[in-house]
Amino acid sequence: MKRNEIRKLNSAQAATNRFGLGMLTPTMIVLVVMTAYPLVFTFIYSFTDYNYLKGTENASFILFDNYTSLFQNGYFQQAVVNTIVFTLLAVVLEMGFGLLVAVFVNSLKRGQKIMRTLLLLPYLLPAVTVALSWRMMLSANYGIVNQVLETLGLPVFNWFMDTKTAFGTILVIDVWQNVPFVFLLLYASLQSVSESQYEAARIDGAGALQQFWYITLPNIKGSLALCALLRTIDTFRLFEKVNVLTGGGPAGTTTTITQFLYNYGIKPLDFGFGSAGAIVMTILVLILSSFYIKRAMG
Amino acid sequence: MKKLLTLVLALAMTLSLAACGGSDTTATDSGSSGDSSSGEPTKMTLILRGGAYGESLQAMLPAFEEEHNVDIEVQLLSFDDLHTGIALDAVNETGTYDLCMVDGSWMAEFTANGVLANLSEMGYSFDDDIIPATTSICMVDDNIYLAPYYGNVTVMMYNKQLLADAGYAPEDIDSFQDIQDIAQKTRAADSSKNGFLIRGGSADNILSDFLPHLVVHGGWVVDENNNPTVDTPEFRAAMEDYLALYNVGGTLDKDDIVASVTSGETAMAQIWPGWYTPTADGPADYITIPTKLTDDGQDMGAVALQGVWCIGIPDNAPHKDLALELLEYVMSPEVQLASIEENGVPCRFSCLTDPTVLETYPHLETVCGALQTGVYRPVIEEWTQFTNILGTEMDNIIQGTKTMDEALSYAQEQLEQLMAG
Repeated sequence: MKRNEIRKLNSAQAATNRFGLGMLTPTMIVLVVMTAYPLVFTFIYSFTDYNYLKGTENASFILFDNYTSLFQNGYFQQAVVNTIVFTLLAVVLEMGFGLLVAVFVNSLKRGQKIMRTLLLLPYLLPAVTVALSWRMMLSANYGIVNQVLETLGLPVFNWFMDTKTAFGTILVIDVWQNVPFVFLLLYASLQSVSESQYEAARIDGAGALQQFWYITLPNIKGSLALCALLRTIDTFRLFEKVNVLTGGGPAGTTTTITQFLYNYGIKPLDFGFGSAGAIVMTILVLILSSFYIKRAMG
Repeated sequence: MKKLLTLVLALAMTLSLAACGGSDTTATDSGSSGDSSSGEPTKMTLILRGGAYGESLQAMLPAFEEEHNVDIEVQLLSFDDLHTGIALDAVNETGTYDLCMVDGSWMAEFTANGVLANLSEMGYSFDDDIIPATTSICMVDDNIYLAPYYGNVTVMMYNKQLLADAGYAPEDIDSFQDIQDIAQKTRAADSSKNGFLIRGGSADNILSDFLPHLVVHGGWVVDENNNPTVDTPEFRAAMEDYLALYNVGGTLDKDDIVASVTSGETAMAQIWPGWYTPTADGPADYITIPTKLTDDGQDMGAVALQGVWCIGIPDNAPHKDLALELLEYVMSPEVQLASIEENGVPCRFSCLTDPTVLETYPHLETVCGALQTGVYRPVIEEWTQFTNILGTEMDNIIQGTKTMDEALSYAQEQLEQLMAG
């Protein structure tokens, strides 16, 4: 009797496992086709001198030559530094402003909905549209920004063609567009913080700063980490704005890794070299993200 | 029930993946008109350069479409996207594009890899009316691969008022020394004005605009064996003069350059004819780029950079014969003449010297002269990487982030490595 029951239980367990496996299979197939396959081929190509027009049949294995030339390439080194500095600055600024705006909107008694909608608008625009709009506004010749500065008697700048301003200008545009994303995630998280915690803190005589530090921040810690992770990954891949606005110039001061790969890998159709760059970039993103992932996982 | 559900999901997944494979149907019609049996128009796709270059051709298509019962889709792309678009499609057995617009600097790469169809073998030849200098980039040995559609050659744009203020008439500008003089005088007279503007942005822009300045100094970027020659006295001298112009002006992108010269903020700038169409009562006009360094210096003959936009047929074009008919149609004198109304710049003597045309578009006489004396970028497969390296190092010099010695020796070393493979 007992043996029969155990057999039945085992059989039910096996059926459950099979069902689970069956449900997972489509997702696994999609993942393999869409992610693993390109990744494996990019990895393989990175050890070849594959040129797209010459075809794979004319490609040969050159071991680590692509990686050696990549690391010895002065422009790549500059692109890595630019990308890391840009990512750090952009993520810190976006997190800071996003948190401030989220706390502010969350504290509003009225008009939260309209504020939420208006604040989201920049994030809803495609990056290329944003870049083109800013290019017009910051045009050295007919841009509204320089015209306003001129009217106010302030100095005007050649925003995208001057080494002193190009990097900062792209940073400002990127922060402007992505603060709403941070705001949205943190605002949603703030909504879930129980009001009773604040009431208790107020009864205990805690001030606004203490409430923020001891109640708000600990409660949204997970969302902050997730947000920082997502923004880091996204900012590291920054391409459209740089490509449209400066093409990596002036003097390479705005070249990011993706822009470098486009200029030296995609444009000359040198996919072997480009693949090596893509692999290095993926590893760098993983390293940067690992800190956040580790923290988020507890 | 669960088993059934699993089975259904797995089946659906398999079917979806199979469907993603798609049909392998390819159009291989090479007839000279649409499908006569069904009356359905043949679908052709053109990949062209955006702006006046491609738009002037696009405007000529309706008559051909009607006559040949074809439906033509046109893709207008930026310089880089056009290059990538043609190249990515080239590896397919049957391609997407029937006709493509090609920059001369891609010629070596495209012909070496069999991207373009041999037009001579298809029966196409040039007539005597086409400006000979515009056809040299279109051929490999005696075989024609491209036809020069849009006469693009660098010219010197000037603001009429600022030029007069500097004491010059357009016909007085005989040399680069005169350009330098006008630029310096303009800045000296008003420190808020630019004497000369150079184009910034991509490495290719920076290098291309500099090439006439290099040629007039007797230099070039490669020697006859395609060895890089950038760390040379000629290059340095040209760069010094270029910096002197930059110091009394600035660097902007093309839209800002045209706006700045027409608004009277800038005296002179080097432009491509497609950017600006002068009018008799307009504030700006252009002249051919002088071919001498100094008034009494040696005449270099050809200095301005040729950037003729050519048209060709991809070797894997789906409707090759029809594409040849289209190419011959848009290259015909009548269509080329009509394209002028759509901001086109033909490469034909008959169009550019037509008295009726010159009445309305007198600047075309200048373009005609420039097209006969231009120089092409070197025809080398590695040109894209070459411009990336040299353009970036020149930008470093212009922006002051590297000294000329540092930048040019680094560029020379990198370019030698590139050309050595």
